[in-house]
Amino acid sequence: MKNNKLMISAAGSGKTTYLIDEALALPKEEQVLITTYTEANEAEIRSKILKKKNCIPSNITIQTWFSFLIQHGVRPFQGSMNDELWDNDITGMLLVEGRSGKKYDKNGKPLIINGHPIYWEKDNFKKYYFTTNWKIFSDKLSNFVEECNTLTNGAVISRISRIFSHIYIDEVQDLAGYDLELIKLLFKSKSTILLVGDPRQVTYLTHHSIRNKKYRDGKIKDFLIENCKSLLSEDSIDEETLKKSHRNNKEICDYASKLFEGIYEKSEPCSCDSCRKKNIEHAGVFIVRQNDVDEYLKKYNPVQLRWNRQINVNENYSVYNFGESKGQTYDRVLIYPTSIMINWIKDNSFDFKRTKNGKQENIIGVREKFYVAITRARYSVAIVYNFSDDEKIEGVQKLKL
Amino acid sequence: MSYITKVNIFNYKCFKGLFSLDFNDGVNIIVGNNEAGKSTILEAIHLALTGLLNGRYLRNELSQYLFNNIVTQEYLQRVNEGSDATPPYILLEVFFKGSDFPKLEGNGNSNRVKAQGVSFKILFDDNYREEYEELVKNELKTIPIEYYKIEWKSFARETITARSIPIKSVLIDSAANRYQNGSDIYISKIIKDNLNDKQKAEISQAYRKVKDVFMDEEAIKNINNQLIKNSDISDKKVMVSVDLSTKDAWETSLMTYLDEVPFHQIGKGEQCIIKTNLALAHKKSKEANLILIEEPENHLSHTKLNEFVHNIVNKCSDKQVIITTHNSFVANKLGLENLTLLHNQKQTKFSELDPETFDFFKKLPGYETLRLILCEKAILVEGDCDELIVQKAYMEAHNGRLPIEDGIDVISVGLTFERFLKIAEKIGKQVAVVTDNDGDVESLNEKYAPYVGDSKSIKAFYDTVVDTGDLTIGKDKKKFNYNTLEPKLLKVNSLDSFNKIFGTKHTKIDDMHKYMKNNKTNCALKIFESTIKIKYPEYITSAINWCDEE
Repeated sequence: MKNNKLMISAAGSGKTTYLIDEALALPKEEQVLITTYTEANEAEIRSKILKKKNCIPSNITIQTWFSFLIQHGVRPFQGSMNDELWDNDITGMLLVEGRSGKKYDKNGKPLIINGHPIYWEKDNFKKYYFTTNWKIFSDKLSNFVEECNTLTNGAVISRISRIFSHIYIDEVQDLAGYDLELIKLLFKSKSTILLVGDPRQVTYLTHHSIRNKKYRDGKIKDFLIENCKSLLSEDSIDEETLKKSHRNNKEICDYASKLFEGIYEKSEPCSCDSCRKKNIEHAGVFIVRQNDVDEYLKKYNPVQLRWNRQINVNENYSVYNFGESKGQTYDRVLIYPTSIMINWIKDNSFDFKRTKNGKQENIIGVREKFYVAITRARYSVAIVYNFSDDEKIEGVQKLKL
Repeated sequence: MSYITKVNIFNYKCFKGLFSLDFNDGVNIIVGNNEAGKSTILEAIHLALTGLLNGRYLRNELSQYLFNNIVTQEYLQRVNEGSDATPPYILLEVFFKGSDFPKLEGNGNSNRVKAQGVSFKILFDDNYREEYEELVKNELKTIPIEYYKIEWKSFARETITARSIPIKSVLIDSAANRYQNGSDIYISKIIKDNLNDKQKAEISQAYRKVKDVFMDEEAIKNINNQLIKNSDISDKKVMVSVDLSTKDAWETSLMTYLDEVPFHQIGKGEQCIIKTNLALAHKKSKEANLILIEEPENHLSHTKLNEFVHNIVNKCSDKQVIITTHNSFVANKLGLENLTLLHNQKQTKFSELDPETFDFFKKLPGYETLRLILCEKAILVEGDCDELIVQKAYMEAHNGRLPIEDGIDVISVGLTFERFLKIAEKIGKQVAVVTDNDGDVESLNEKYAPYVGDSKSIKAFYDTVVDTGDLTIGKDKKKFNYNTLEPKLLKVNSLDSFNKIFGTKHTKIDDMHKYMKNNKTNCALKIFESTIKIKYPEYITSAINWCDEE
């Protein structure tokens, strides 16, 4: 009897390593797919396996989610979706931000009516799903796969489950919309599914579809409970095994957990001897003033983390965008927060919602990226903030150099 | 175990447009005339499964001659007229049975069905669109093959290599395909297929060691030293060594020996038997094995052929064999139910004939069965005498050539005309029936009505005149039948000339009737062997004339 699993993990809990060990422990005749959303993480999985084995075992296939969907979801039965696809090759995928398939006017400018762009609908198959040279839009990929599977009476998923007896998805919190429908179909299939992810680290979204919108912010657990109830067993959802951080110390765990207070369980530092070095100087969470940044860098040599390339940093020290740093471990970090992050630093009850067009909406990704940034560090997190001497700031130590 | 169930061949060599052939699990026999495309079918299957044509990778040796000639001509005409210039393509598709290879599963095939299989396509490479546009401005004489590419994909539309195809095919043909050193490509492939990865690595390492030992040999060292010193040859260091330039150098350098005789020195027939036995003995359980054999009778004596067929029957239990032949012995031994007839690119499976007709052919002795299929035209007659007379009539009209020399077979079928006609109808074979009217033209008209007609390939010839007379035979005064071959012959010839031919001295017509009736075979033989020309009844000469029609 197969047992599908969702493992909710904390930052630094070694979830990718866990997943790899599970895959390597399988008998050689079991074919396993390891897939994840980003190319960076795909490369990371590869290099982690190569550190344990001298080559990738022949029964393990590593692919990004998109490349898996194109190869095994789209191409095998593409003809069943539309007659044009019998004779035309799908040449690849176009990664889009936001909704694809805008209508254009004669001059090649997007058609705007009442301030909104106009989109092609499904009745125009080609323009809805594809670019003119048959690249499929990334935001419609999983929708295509789901429909193709329906039209072929399940041939798409049946084929996949006969190729891969195990399907492991890392960083599952990045999947959304129709991706979740595919997860449901995979849960129903013969393959054994293992999902690993940290819902607090949603930094990419596969698409902005309105489908399953309420599960958008990493709420894969809610999705499974509400939509796949009958497919779950008692131990299908595991929030314990990967709860402890092998990376962050207690102060960092506490501060990062505060970001999701009342939403997710607090993360805790592990108690492994090998992870916990004694007598670390300058450990914890700090705020430093802009004027002290250069000296702080000189003294502690942290990795700088920023929102994007527009943020000014000291180029003499290493620097990454928040998104890029996902999955990485550093001894110390120095964070350049955005103005929304500063709102929260000043008042931890700030709820990352804003009012737009008279409606309250979540500010997507800011809290999550801040969480990622904080949880990169082993010993110390410093945040650049020009505090005044009498300002009360919770959870951090003011640092004056 | 997996098998191939179907091959689609499109625009390849003798096949214009789509040709499709189904296979069963065990033995498949393809029977047809020369030029019917039998070898091309085997070649196409092997190419789609291995990428090899004549033992070489086709990828580097694309040629316009792979395209069907008519397709090429039509294309060139279109281009040069300035109309549609879409370059033609070749498509080979092989379908696998069952669901054991999900990676190869999809609907990327021209039948647009969910299936497992591979597709091998030779098509215009779109990257050369610009060059092509320029090219077609001038007169085109050939297909611009330099702008073509090969797409080798699974039915899941995924690019594949020979390695990813689980069915390994072995082609055993009469052509000799050798490496430069003379070792046989197929025998090497079969032996290589029999080795596991570890053994393959071992053999290539052992081969490398041979090189080292060779280089360490004192004599070689001296020779090389001398070569190096002799700077006249080149500025660079000149040495002799063993060729290790390719990955599988051992394959091209090692020779297979049989009783210490190099494989290629053995007789062709023996080679054929050994290749087949090796392929049959292939033991890799994970891989299916498909054995393609081209006309084994070509190099084998009857005894050897018997042994060969016996081996196939006994050892192919878990292998699929596709064999082409025009030898009726081979076909009969291997089972008529496995037989596919190929004629004018149309196929007929024996197993699809109605059960009675099939049973009938199963009971017929070997040689008779396939004559109808293998000839170009056939004349069906009732008995041996008719056969001789028709042959003679043909010879007289064709400067003494036997009909068989012109591909026309005169077959004596007794009273089973209809059985043969059912097959002839299926395969569109041109067949003439030459028969007695036995005094009942009406019933003959009725009997052959379903088979003949302007559009049909079958024609029935019989005398439409019913002759009568007073002659009776025997004590019970049975009426003499004036409407069989002999009386009809006598009717158009003189008593005198028949007396000469038979060496008789009959003075009464009735006596000659009686004589011929009682000595049918003898008379027919005498007519056949005689140099005296006779006249033939109109229905026979019409049949002979029909043979000459296109």
